[in-house]
Parts: sequence; C-alpha cells; structure tokens
Amino acid sequence: MPVAASAIYFLNLRGDVLINRTYRDDVGGNMVDAFRTHIMQTKELGNCPVRQIGGCSFVYMRISNVYIVIVVSSNANVACGFKFVVEAVALFKSYFGGAFDEDAIKNNFVLIYELLDEIMDFGYPQNLSPEILKLYITQEGVRSPFSSKPKDKPVPNATLQVTGAVGWRREGLSYKKNEVFLDIVESVNLLMSSKGNVLRCDVTGKVLMKCFLSGMPDLKLGLNDKIGLEKESEMKSRPAKSGKTIELDDVTFHQCVNLTRFNSEKTVSFVPPDGEFELMKYRITEGVNLPFRVLPTIKELGRTRMEVNVKVKSVFGAKMFALGVVVKIPVPKQTAKTNFQVTSGRAKYNPSIDCLVWKIRKFPGQTESTLSAEIELISTMGEKKSWTRPPIQMEFQVPMFTASGLRVRFLKVWEKSGYNTVEWVRYITKAGSYEIRC
Amino acid sequence: MAPPAASQRYPSPSQPSGKSEVTDLKSQLRQLAGSRAPGVDDSKRDLFKKVISYMTIGIDVSSVFGEMVMCSATSDIVLKKMCYLYVGNYAKGNPDLSLLTINFLQRDCKDQDPMIRGLALRSLCSLRVPNLVEYLVGPLGSGLKDNNSYVRTIAVTGVLKLYHISASTCIDADFPATLKSLMLHDSDAQVVANCLSALQEIWSLEVSHSEEACREKESLLSKPVIYYFLNRIKEFNEWAQCLILELAVKYVPSDSNDIFDIMNLLEDRLQHANGAVVLATVKVFLQLTLSMTDVHQQVYERIKSPLLTLVSSGSPEQSYAILSHLHLLVVRAPFIFASDYKHFYCQYNEPSYVKKLKLEMLTAIANESNTYEIVTELCEYAANVDIAIARESIRAVGKIALQQYDVNAIVDRLLQFLEMEKDYVTAETLVLVKDLLRKYPQWSHDCISVVGGISSKNIQEPKAKSALIWMLGEYAQDMSDAPYVLENLIENWEEEHSAEVRLHLLTAAMKCFFKRPPETQRALGIALAAGMADFHQDVHDRALFYYRVLQYDVHVAERVVSPSKQAVSVFADTQSSEIKDRIFDEFNSLSVIYQKPSYMFTDKEHRGPFEFSDEVGNIPITPEASGDIVPAQQFEANDKDLLLSTDEKDDNKGVSITGSAYTAPSYDNSNISSQMQELAISGSATSAATPQSSFDFDDIFGLGLSTAPARTPSPPLLKLNPRAALDPGAFQQKWRQLPISLTQECSVNPQGIAALTVPQSLIKHMQSHSIHCIASGGQSPNFKFFFFAQKESEPSSNYLTECVINSSSAKAQIKVKADEQSTSQAFATVFETALSEFGMP
Repeated sequence: MPVAASAIYFLNLRGDVLINRTYRDDVGGNMVDAFRTHIMQTKELGNCPVRQIGGCSFVYMRISNVYIVIVVSSNANVACGFKFVVEAVALFKSYFGGAFDEDAIKNNFVLIYELLDEIMDFGYPQNLSPEILKLYITQEGVRSPFSSKPKDKPVPNATLQVTGAVGWRREGLSYKKNEVFLDIVESVNLLMSSKGNVLRCDVTGKVLMKCFLSGMPDLKLGLNDKIGLEKESEMKSRPAKSGKTIELDDVTFHQCVNLTRFNSEKTVSFVPPDGEFELMKYRITEGVNLPFRVLPTIKELGRTRMEVNVKVKSVFGAKMFALGVVVKIPVPKQTAKTNFQVTSGRAKYNPSIDCLVWKIRKFPGQTESTLSAEIELISTMGEKKSWTRPPIQMEFQVPMFTASGLRVRFLKVWEKSGYNTVEWVRYITKAGSYEIRC
Repeated sequence: MAPPAASQRYPSPSQPSGKSEVTDLKSQLRQLAGSRAPGVDDSKRDLFKKVISYMTIGIDVSSVFGEMVMCSATSDIVLKKMCYLYVGNYAKGNPDLSLLTINFLQRDCKDQDPMIRGLALRSLCSLRVPNLVEYLVGPLGSGLKDNNSYVRTIAVTGVLKLYHISASTCIDADFPATLKSLMLHDSDAQVVANCLSALQEIWSLEVSHSEEACREKESLLSKPVIYYFLNRIKEFNEWAQCLILELAVKYVPSDSNDIFDIMNLLEDRLQHANGAVVLATVKVFLQLTLSMTDVHQQVYERIKSPLLTLVSSGSPEQSYAILSHLHLLVVRAPFIFASDYKHFYCQYNEPSYVKKLKLEMLTAIANESNTYEIVTELCEYAANVDIAIARESIRAVGKIALQQYDVNAIVDRLLQFLEMEKDYVTAETLVLVKDLLRKYPQWSHDCISVVGGISSKNIQEPKAKSALIWMLGEYAQDMSDAPYVLENLIENWEEEHSAEVRLHLLTAAMKCFFKRPPETQRALGIALAAGMADFHQDVHDRALFYYRVLQYDVHVAERVVSPSKQAVSVFADTQSSEIKDRIFDEFNSLSVIYQKPSYMFTDKEHRGPFEFSDEVGNIPITPEASGDIVPAQQFEANDKDLLLSTDEKDDNKGVSITGSAYTAPSYDNSNISSQMQELAISGSATSAATPQSSFDFDDIFGLGLSTAPARTPSPPLLKLNPRAALDPGAFQQKWRQLPISLTQECSVNPQGIAALTVPQSLIKHMQSHSIHCIASGGQSPNFKFFFFAQKESEPSSNYLTECVINSSSAKAQIKVKADEQSTSQAFATVFETALSEFGMP
C-alpha cells in the first residue's frame, strides 16, 4: 500500500481541532488526542515532523498558525504525504485568496470539506489540480478582506470535459488579449566564513508563469543554459554564440512539460495550464554572482564594550538597484546601549532578536554603505561564557538581476488559430539564507 | 469519512452550547422544507452552512437529521453536497436514521447530472453502516459501468470501501474481476489508478484465504501489466505515478534488456517537479539494478543531483524526509555525496531536526579529501546556541575521528573544545576522548595532560563523569593526582545518583590501586565498603566480586580487572546489516525515517508500550528519567511510613566510613604499611599470593564486612531471652547510637513469601524464636520490620535488626546492630535460621 492516509486533521496552535476528515476506520477517533498529549504538549513538537504513537504515525507540518496532521496506520510514503499537504495548502490558498490560517479555515468549513472529499478518496490522493477541481467544487472561498482581489470565479458546474492527454488544461478557453507573464525568481544562499571565504554558495531558481492564452497553445522556452545551447548549435551545425552559458546542476519541471522532448532535444516545450503556475525549478552551484559583499569587523573591547563595523558593497550593475535591503547584525544579549552611524538607510537595535537591524530601502549597484556602532554591555559578574557570535544575516531583492546569469532567449507561442501574444519577462534575485559569519 | 462525534471534541468555553441554536435551526428548516417560494434555495444554503459549521465546531446537530433529509429534496447541487456531508457525518451514529437517506441517495445515483450521480454514490459508500450493505451493490455495479469517468472513479473506490465493510459481499458480486477489466481497458487515467490501488489492497488482504487472489496479485506484476502502466505513465497524475512506480519496484525483470528498457522509460521522471515521484523513481532504479554492480554505481551518480535539489527546495519537513533517505544511501555508498559535502552545511535558521540529519550526513560522507573542511565546519557548530546541536556536532567530530581520517588534527580540535569551558561541551568531549583513547592509545599522552586539568566538580552528566573516571583509572600512572581525584569522588559516594558512575568508580579505584597501591588503598577500601552496602544490585555485586577476587589473589584480580588492552579497531555497529537491507528494501517509506523495518512498528508485538491504539490517548507520558531512580530511593520513600525512618538513614551514611571490623584488634599505621608492602610485592610478583596475605586482607582496607565462611569463627551458641522487653524510645535511641555491625542478605522460602500476605504472621513466628518486633510497615513487594532481641544471660546486651523483605525477589536484607558487636554474627545466624523456618509447617 503506497499511501493510504487514515485521516487528516487541522489543528490550531492550542491543539483544538479546527476541521478534520477521517478517510478510513482503522484509526480511532481519539488519535488526535494522542497527538495532542504526546507531541503538542511536549517538547517533541519541534523535534521531528514524523512521529509514531501506538500503531499510528503522524506526519505533520505547521503552516502559519495551523498544524496539518496526516495520520497513517501503515508504512506510508512520507515524501508523498508531505508533498500532498503542501499541494493541498496551495490549493486552499488559491480558494481563500492567498491566506491560509485559522480564520480562513473557520470561514470556509463547507468548502474545505468539499475539497477534502475531492482531493483524497479513502486515503488515496486524487486530483489536486485547481483547474480540474473547479469543475467539481460548488462553494466559493470566503476571502479575507486583506487578500488580493478575487480572480475570475470558479466555473460552477461546468459541463466541459477534461481531455485525457492534457489533464491540467480545460478546452475552450478564450481571452481577448493573449498574454504570457514569465518571472525568473532566484534565491541566493550564501555561507561565508569569518575570514571571508565562501563556504557554501548556491542558487535555487524558479520560472513562474502566468498564462492568459486562448485555446490549446504550444509554448517553447529557450534559456541560455549550457546543455540547451550546445544541443541547439549541434542541431543547426553552427558554433554556439559567444557569451555566458549557464550550467544547471539540476532541473525539474511542471508536469505539463514534455520531458521526453526535453531529454532528446533539450528544449522546454509545453501546453501550459491556465493562470499561474511554476514551470520549472533549477539549482546552480558554479559561477554564482553574489550581489552583495559584506565585510564585518567586530571588536570586543574588554567586558563591557564592543565595536561593530559592517561594510556592505553592492557588486551588481551600476544601473540596477536592490530593494528592501535588511542587514541583521547580532549583538550579545546583555547589550545595554547602542550608538551607531550609518552612511545610508536606518539602523535600530532590536532587543527581542538581539540584533542591530539595518534597513536600506534602495541600494544602487556598485556602491557601498557602512554601519559603525559602539555597543555597551551590562557587565555580568562571573559570566565566563564567551558570546557565541551568530552569523550576520541579510535580506534583499534585486530586480532585473539573476545571480546565476540565466536569461530567457526566446519564448514562442504557437496555437492553431495563430493569434498574436504579448510576452512579459521579468527577473528578480532574492536572498535565500545569506549568512556571513563574524 | 465523518469527523468524530461531538462528544469527543473539546469545545472551548467561549463556544455556544448550541441547544437553543439547534432548536432554532430545526424550526427554520421545517418551515423551508415544504416551501417552493423563489429564493428559498438561497436561504436553505445559508441554513445548511450553519448546520455544518456547528457540526464542525463540535455542537451536536444530529437532532435535525429528519429536517435535513426533508430539505434535501432539491435539484440544487450546492444544497445536495452539503446535505451529503451532513448525512455522512451522522449516519454511522444513527443507523436507523440513515435508512431514511438510502432512498434519496439511491435515487440520486440515477440522476441526469454525472456530478450528482458521483457524489451520491460516494456518500452512499461512505455511510459505513453494515446492515445497509445490500443497498450498495446495485448502485456500485451501475456506477462502474457509468459513461462518465468521474462516476467510475468514485465507484472504483466505492468497491474498496464496500470490501472493508463486508468483504464477502464484495467478492460475491465479483467486483474485483470488474475492476481488473476496467484497469486494463478504461480510457480515464484516474479510473485506472484507483482500480490499481483498490485491487492491490483487496488482493493483498484476500491472499491468506484464496489461492485465486494470490494468482491475481502476482498477475499485477507480470510483464504485460507493468509495461501497460509504465508506457502510459505520463497520462497519470503525480500521485498515481507514485502508485505505479511503487508497483514497478516489485517487478522482477526477465533480463538486463528489460532493466534498461524500464530505466529508459522512467529516466525523465527524475525531472518531475513532485519530489514524491522523483523519490519513487529513485527507488525503482536502485532496486532494479541491485544485481548489476556497475550499473548500480552509475545509478547513484544519476540520482545524486535530483536528490540534492529536493533537499534544498521545499519545506523543512520535506527536506527532512529526503535527508533521511540520503542518509540511508550514503551509508551504502559513502562516496556518492563526498564532493557535495557543502550541501549539508547547516543554515542558522533551520529547524534542529534538519540540522541533526545534516550533521549525520556530514559524518557519513567524511573521507580523506574533505575531512578538514567538514571538521572545521562542525567545530563552528560546537558554539551553536542550540545546545542539542552543539552536542551533536561534537559527537560528529568524534565519529569522524574514529573513522580514521586525519586523527591528528581532530584530536587537537577536541582538546580545544575542553578549553571552551562550557559544561555540555566538556561533557561531550570527555566521552569522545575516552572512545578515541580506546582506539588510538598512542594519543594518550596529549589527551591525558589536558584531561588531567579538568576539575571533576564541573562535570555532572553521568556519561561524561564515567568517561573521566574511566580515564583516571586507565591512565592513573600518567595523571599525578588520579588517586586523590578518585578518592574525592568516592567520598561523595552517597551523593552520586547514577549507578553507572558508581560502577565506574569501583573499577577505576581497582585499576588505580594496581598501579599506585599506597596512594589508592584507602580510597579502594571506602569504595568497596560503600559498594557492598549499595542498594543497586549491580554495584553491590561488582563490589562484592572485586572484594572476593582481591581476597583470593591480588594478582589474579589485576589480570581480571586491568588486563593489558588491545586497541579497539572497529566499534560495534548497533544495527545489523540484515536490518539495514530490510530498511533499504522499504525505501521511500516510514521505515527509513524511523530507521527500522516496518514490522517493528506496524506489528503489534513489536510496538512496545503503546499497545492499543484506541487507548493511546489516555496513556500518561512516562517520565524519561525513571531509569535513573535507584531502588535505594524507593526504599527511602517507603521509610516515610515508618517509625524510625530518619535516624536510620543517617546511620546508613555513617557506616561506610565508621564501620569497624570486629576482628581487627590492632590497627595502627606502622602495621598497615608493612602489610601494604607485602601486598604490593605479592601483587607485582608473579608468584601467587599466599593465603596469609589474604588473612590480613580486611585490615588493609579497613573493612569489617566479611562474609567469607573460612574466616567466620564457629558461632557460639547464643541463647535469647524469650521475654525480652524494650520500649520504642530506647530502641530508637540505641538504633541511632550503634553502628551497623553486620549487613546480610538471605533468601526467604516461597512458603514464607506466601505467608507474608499477613505480615503479622512473621512477627508471631519470630516471637516464637525470642525475636520481637517493635515496628513494621511497607507494602507489597517491600516489607520492612524492626526486631530486637536480648541475650538470655545478660539483659543489657541487645540486638537490633532491620529486616527488609522483597516478596517479588524472595530476598531479605538484614542489618544488625548490637551492644556487644563480637556476637552479632552469631545473632545473625540465629535470625537467619528463624527466618528460613518461616512458613514451614
């Protein structure tokens, strides 16, 4: 039996059941009490996301202020279980208008029951594709007032049939203006040693698409990745154009991408689902352009004083700029007084996270900015423990920049009616876990 | 399919009790039920929503069942769905009422709209009321033949539900055969997938009592069926793909071409966005190539990068699941991630369960080329704020050292940890240094000089303390103050709660004694005395064993306790390779997470304390520390009921130091040192020690607790006064004043234990032997008595006895205090004889 979930529970942080569905009778109704007493009320909660109690295993995740717990009684497939939860939450979010939390659940009981019945039957995952579910779901989500404006209503009781071959797209869609939005979103992970050596550095990227296209269009995407380019030059029997080529460590694709064709021709071709989806994900470890350099110097002057000097350099193109730059510089718990100067942005001491938080709204490329601070500490008698310096962490977004250097070379849309399409391409690089030890 | 009944919930006090609301709803529903006014459906929808919300937050709305059913006579699909939901929830609890619903559900199963047909069929199958089974067969049969795939999908799962309610009905209707033909011929992928999961389940359960099922189950794994699925795999959704891949794992390929065909077919699945599909594909690849070593290695290369992607994308929980699998792989093929070690560096904000697995990964992939970097990184974590992770990383450094890479540098690093002066770092490091020394004795010089500088006062954890004590004993000759540190520790014997530490103290004292006898002699004496008086069985036994083996022959004792050791080359692996293989066979399941094969956690007998899942909610949380409570403390707890408890405890502590030997008339320093020399010579000389040296044995250690029969003078006949009298106050005073002259354990015969159900009977019995009881108490299995007796000839010579009988082990612990200590052995014999006759006719 691969995965047959016996029940799924949604609990709030106190452990009250918000809503649940029992798919099978092989677990008692009070299993959730076992979860509460043995996991939620003990220190176990943060220790491990899979736990066994009695004959049952609990596979659980916390998403905002809700615990989602899957109970299984057999030797289930855990990766599948977690993936199911993640997908289900994404689905709920699409109905609730972006937010998934306790309130959203309480406002949508009937809808959630409906969805839970459709996405899983007798413990086996069924179809989680929002497009298809629109055909079966009668309820509309109650959206939170803060969420984005509702998109087009789910089609009530559509008589449209789903074609077997393209399970993710309905036929007969029609838009006045045919548009494709493509976003390349990269997050850079960095771990730098106190001596300035890069210990670990990689980029995880996503290609997100939003399609408003009529009919059954065939799309083809070309990137400047090495394998794709080589294959192309080989096929056209002319040397590859000079310029940067990117070596992708690994790529995964949305189920709409024809993988056979990718493997033989190295082109990404697909019939897209309607609306928003994640086309592909990739990972790169070689040749990453770090957007920021951080040079910290921290001096502990005796027991009660510290000097902190952090210089941040932007090393991307001068015409570009980073937004929402936040540098979190850790300081000891017993910090009493801080005194600092910054060349740009604003800094603040935040005692709840023991950090100096330095924010720079707009950081142009090829510039640098410094923070110098003097910190006075409460002298603690007999406190032998030296301060274990946590790393400096950084957040930022750099639009129009990719740390990997990946670029879209072409995006072709082909549909039998031959309409014109407008394509929009954007790039953005965000900080993943950007840590500099000091 | 239904949430548990309302009574199982814990509605918070702020929630309405719901009684008046429910009555209100009831009347409103009744009004609307017959109405045909326009817009009535909208108001019905609102009411239905309310009912379902109440149901969800735990208010019992089963009383509106009738009204709900009446209202459901509608063509509005939204209303119908909500009504099905309601019915599904309460049908199981109200089988009679659910009969009402059968009618309209059956009618809906024939509706024009395929959605209504499907929903009605699902609800019908989900009622799970056994006596309604007969109504299921018809609709299911037509559902399976429905021309709409949605209805067929639901009908297929419906068959599985029916099987679980009533297997015979399902088999008799020949549903499995219908499913099989659907599986092989239906055009809709989801119908096929559901057929597959239903058939797998039904046939696996049928196998035990039907040969046909066995055949059918095997036919699922035949080449045509497998290829039928694999060739179409792209048509299935991601979840169904997992199902098919799981099936393909069990397929036994006919030859190597077969293997390559399958691998080529599935190659592109490794690029799927769904991690579960990727992992399932990895499993197929690994299992298929098990017999082909070369290809198997190539598979490792191929799956490496998709797996690393899965680790770094997705939620921490998903990473956790994947990392567990990587760990399993890396144990089998350590080289695969050796050059990708940087992927397993911890991020500051990651949850500790991910960090922990990453540390394990780093440990497992360390080899000659990357050890330096990995250990440098691990040392960073030793200063981590999260103490558990800091500990794990120190352990990881130690494990890498034991793997024999770059030991030199690692030992330096470990010794630096000791200088960090953090209790937990020191504690972990000590344990590691101990293991390192067992493997690499050549490092002892460097380590010992640093370890010697650690103050034992700063170490509280039993494991670390034991490690330090072990080193003190083992390297006593290199650590100048070893005997004195040990002596210090031994003097605090009573405060040492961990039996493990006390055991190590005994052994270390022995080892130290062999190396530096004059300095250790006193400490060893105290340790042996305390050990023999110890309540912990193991400690007591070990002390007694040491005592006797020393008494027999010091040289032999040295050979037994402190033989020359060979360096440990490989530490025992905790898990057998057979178990590891089984876990590997169950790749991509919970087994990998729990690191044990599935039979260990799915079979009832292996499950351990939580036997019955239904009662599991009521099981109290067992305190983890329970193992540390030594029986001594339990005895002390019992003492509280007793008259004499407080005084007696103080005496216990005194005895180990003040207890004087009744056969040691001359006890001066000069005498001891000469004997000591004699002992030292006999210990180091090759000749066996003479019996004489053992004769003076007790004196050397200042022990008076002889139980050796050879030394016991034949007891003089002791006559006790049958009418002895002692008032409790005097007893108490005497008990406080006198030292324990004798401690002894003896067994009680089974009849005696049986008779002990009435403790008074023992008191009467002892009285007949002129031993009188002054106080008694305790509960089964531990009973405690205080007795006294007087010598017939001298009324002033009293014997006071504490006797603790454990009825489950049938043992009695006796402590004797006497005015005239030389005769206490004789009294003990009388007492023991009397006790042994207890219960005899």
